[in-house]
Amino acid sequence: MTTSNTDLLRHFDHLHPVLGQDGTPCAYYEALRDEAIARQRFVGWSEVHGGFWAVVGYDEYSEIARNPTAFSNTEPTFPRYGTGEALMIAGQDDPDHRFARALVNSPFGPNGVRIYDDILRDNVNLLIDGFIASGAADVGQLVARPIPAILTALLMGLPAELGPKFMRWCRAISEGFIVDPQGAAADIAEMYAYFEDTIATRQRDGGADILSQVINAEVDGRKFNHQELLGFCTVLMLGGIDNTKNLLGSVLWRLGWDVDLRARLVRDSSLIPKVINEFLRYYSPAFTARLVMQDIEIGGAPMKKDQMVLLCNPIANRDPRAFEHPDTFIADRSPNRHVGLGLGVHRCLGAHLLTLEAHIVIEEFLARLADYALDAKRPSRWWPGFVSGMGNVPITFTPHAPRSNVIGNAGVEAWLATAQSA
Amino acid sequence: MTAVNITTRDGQTHSLECRDGVSLMENIRAHGLHELLALCGGNCSCGTCHVQVEPQAFARLPAMSEDENYLLAISTHRSPTSRLSCQLVVEPAMAGLLARIAPEDV
Repeated sequence: MTTSNTDLLRHFDHLHPVLGQDGTPCAYYEALRDEAIARQRFVGWSEVHGGFWAVVGYDEYSEIARNPTAFSNTEPTFPRYGTGEALMIAGQDDPDHRFARALVNSPFGPNGVRIYDDILRDNVNLLIDGFIASGAADVGQLVARPIPAILTALLMGLPAELGPKFMRWCRAISEGFIVDPQGAAADIAEMYAYFEDTIATRQRDGGADILSQVINAEVDGRKFNHQELLGFCTVLMLGGIDNTKNLLGSVLWRLGWDVDLRARLVRDSSLIPKVINEFLRYYSPAFTARLVMQDIEIGGAPMKKDQMVLLCNPIANRDPRAFEHPDTFIADRSPNRHVGLGLGVHRCLGAHLLTLEAHIVIEEFLARLADYALDAKRPSRWWPGFVSGMGNVPITFTPHAPRSNVIGNAGVEAWLATAQSA
Repeated sequence: MTAVNITTRDGQTHSLECRDGVSLMENIRAHGLHELLALCGGNCSCGTCHVQVEPQAFARLPAMSEDENYLLAISTHRSPTSRLSCQLVVEPAMAGLLARIAPEDV
């Protein structure tokens, strides 16, 4: 890391943040924010990755996110992911985005996602059954990582044990294509072949899952064509797995040492929705990017057409102009206008799914592992990246008998095997 | 263009010339009334464009979807005439409509 304390933003690399004593980049984000305040410049040029505008102020973030004409979503990740083609929805501008989003909004709405409540709860408990007798586990790997991958499989009407495969495909797209292009290409080809097959099956046999609903959905007499459906599967997987996995890891880590917070949540579960929002503010897993479409000045920064803009969710969420005591974790913060899920028409499609997952994990985890603590011998570890969070969260707890016999359960065994190889 | 009246949280009522065929939410924000947050930009996903409509006009509005109903149900400020303004497309029949921006509850 080549940062100096006097010029943090100029060397800002969101993929390699400086981790503080607590193992998170929070202090680094606060330092970047403090530098912006001292200079009264909330947008700055970073020379890393070929150069980009880093947006660290809330108002400037909002101005950009609410202006999809001047700021295109055709480059929603930075550096660009290796999908090979434009991302559906997340990587589209109007009118295509408006059509696609209108088509998929309802299954992802607050009402639509509730059909997954019971099955998600069952899967969280099955995963816990897989390690609860042992007294120790890395719950970053055995709860946070599997849950969103399992849910993604379920959204496509596929069995939970396919989760690890999704994980591998995701990694091929987000990083594998850089470090191992050949291996990633094989994984991505396998992924598309699998999606082709799944779409054909759903078209033939139907189903109650979200993919089937999307296949049959219509806006102004038009449905998704085959290519669009393939792209939808890809974005469902990319958007659904990484963000949620990282947020859940950070949640389980924080609840592992913040015993006051944990006690409050056990006492009053009605606090959970608010605390999820505060987790999204304080440990925002994602950054998001935009492509400048026309010369424009934002927060005094002279942006030029074709430059890249990085919207820094976790830093804008620490802007004291928008949040009182921004560096304090306030469980019942209200109002909480965080941008942890983005802002404007591209705000996270899966917001209600993520909230459901976090809610269920917090509830079930605290019910069954009430006395857990971070493992004093094995440190937790932050996984940096375009999407980041606490990836390894080893804990210890009083062993209990599992509720159900999970030996032979393909879903749980697939994850235990994956965690051992991680 | 259709004229509607919007009362902001400070109690002031603003008469807005609104573009037909565009959501009431987008019209309100286009007039600079940014206290209507609309965090999700009109996707019926966040519930932050909540308005309380005067009863007579409310009765003439199109029915709400299950999602809109759900998002309003979890608001602490739901009234019998609450709507999400992103789901109301302005049309001439709305002329003179009066609505109040609901208190914030994110």
